[in-house]
Amino acid sequence: MTRVKKYLSLVRGSILEGLVFRTSLIVSIIGNLLYLIIIYFLWKAIFDSSPTDVVNGMTFYDTMIYLVLASAMFQFMDTFVVWAIGRDYQSGQIVEYLVKPMDYQAYIFFAGIGNSIVAFFITFLPTFIIIYFVTHGSIVLGMNLVFFAISLICSIVVNFCVDFFVGTICLYTQSIWGVNIMKEIVVGLLSGATVPLAFFPEKFRMVVDFLPFQAIYHSPLRILTDQKMTGADYADVLGMQLLWIVVTLLISKLFWKKSVRKMMVNGG
Amino acid sequence: MEKEKNGFAFYAHIYKKILIQDLKSKMSYRADFIISTIGMLFTNVAGFITFWLIFQNFPQISGWTYHEMLFLYGFSMLALTPVQCFFDNNWNLSRAIHSGDFIKYCFRPINLFFYYMSEVFDIKGLGQFAFGIGTLAYSWNKLGLPLSFRNIAGLIIGVLSASLFMIALMNFASALHFWIVGATSVMILIFKFKDYARYPITIFNKFFQFVFSFIIPIGFMTYYPSLFILHQERISILTYLTPVFGIVFVYLSYLFWMKGARQYSGTGS
Repeated sequence: MTRVKKYLSLVRGSILEGLVFRTSLIVSIIGNLLYLIIIYFLWKAIFDSSPTDVVNGMTFYDTMIYLVLASAMFQFMDTFVVWAIGRDYQSGQIVEYLVKPMDYQAYIFFAGIGNSIVAFFITFLPTFIIIYFVTHGSIVLGMNLVFFAISLICSIVVNFCVDFFVGTICLYTQSIWGVNIMKEIVVGLLSGATVPLAFFPEKFRMVVDFLPFQAIYHSPLRILTDQKMTGADYADVLGMQLLWIVVTLLISKLFWKKSVRKMMVNGG
Repeated sequence: MEKEKNGFAFYAHIYKKILIQDLKSKMSYRADFIISTIGMLFTNVAGFITFWLIFQNFPQISGWTYHEMLFLYGFSMLALTPVQCFFDNNWNLSRAIHSGDFIKYCFRPINLFFYYMSEVFDIKGLGQFAFGIGTLAYSWNKLGLPLSFRNIAGLIIGVLSASLFMIALMNFASALHFWIVGATSVMILIFKFKDYARYPITIFNKFFQFVFSFIIPIGFMTYYPSLFILHQERISILTYLTPVFGIVFVYLSYLFWMKGARQYSGTGS
């Protein structure tokens, strides 16, 4: 019971923290709207130039939903894990966390999740509703929403494990910015968040399918936009995500354990 | 030789001195420098790949071909180099203000804005510059544009004037720190405009063409100035007004920044 309690208090703390920065939440809503406008006109121009309405199985509205929600997902899932680990390490504060009776990885996860919850309600949900109306109700509101929610939770965990792995790299390099930007680019491109995976050439696609990144953005967004999915398809997508959770969690834990032993902290 | 205290030579001299110090301190974190430069290159290559992926599926975007889009992209990277290289310290303003460190800039007998900005020269921008030149040269060649004096001069003037818009926007955004808490989110929002600058403004409808020209000046960051070389038949009056608007806009942002800086009273520490 105390185990759960200590994590719950972390979550509560980070929710309150998230609510303090209201300016940034309002600004991020404006940013999302602007992104929506740009994506709308860019992809409208792209689809208008195409002889067919459906390209690689995706309509203009599907693409809109996919890309705008990918951006909104990025905002609520990005809890600056790489920065948190990098800074804890560089300042030496990491030592304090290591002696506490709490797993560092779990600590970082729960200390960020509150922010995600706040951002989910304040930026993701409004964006979802806006995109629903902009695309004239192209999102099917049925059982797929339940699968979408489950998939989204899986996404958060896979994304966190990838972030934690990359954050651990900061124990070896003196760079946070550089490591973090590389991660953002690689994840953004290979997860479909920049260009939907359906538009990738086949060879590219085969490689991407074997990487964990598509389990972050592509999986939930496919569930939302692909209306031809059967029960078996859902099971397939969610099963793959679960597999990636296990794999990324294991790898990031092992990497952390190995790195912490070698870590050297100056002062602090 | 006694240099005049507010002349250009005096400031150039100081800038050089501060720049060398900054580079020395950066070089002591060599791994960070190398990784950050590679990271910057990643962001540039990613933009390239995005266009490549889109054009794998679509032959053109409302009349714009792959190489024309790459031209705009290369142009935008060049135009965004100055803000990255010379004005990167805007990102540290929040910390300087809230920790109280900012007060030290207020006590020097040189221009406050100049002194603050001179403290950081971001070398990562040079990688972007090189990649921008490469992209531009590639598309220039593929499009068969003449390498005339007119085009070269137009490119240099165009890039320089286009660069002023992002500089001005970032000055405005960072100066908000003097008045409100949480202005970093505004900076992040505005910094994203640079990603939108690479698209031809003609993809928008009339209303948003107006918005992205006169309210959020994204059109001036690449589209209008690049028309001078890319599509001479489409040159608008706004192409020629880019340098004028740019200078006025930067000057206004400077005044705004200085207004905030002058009323800064420190943190008492």
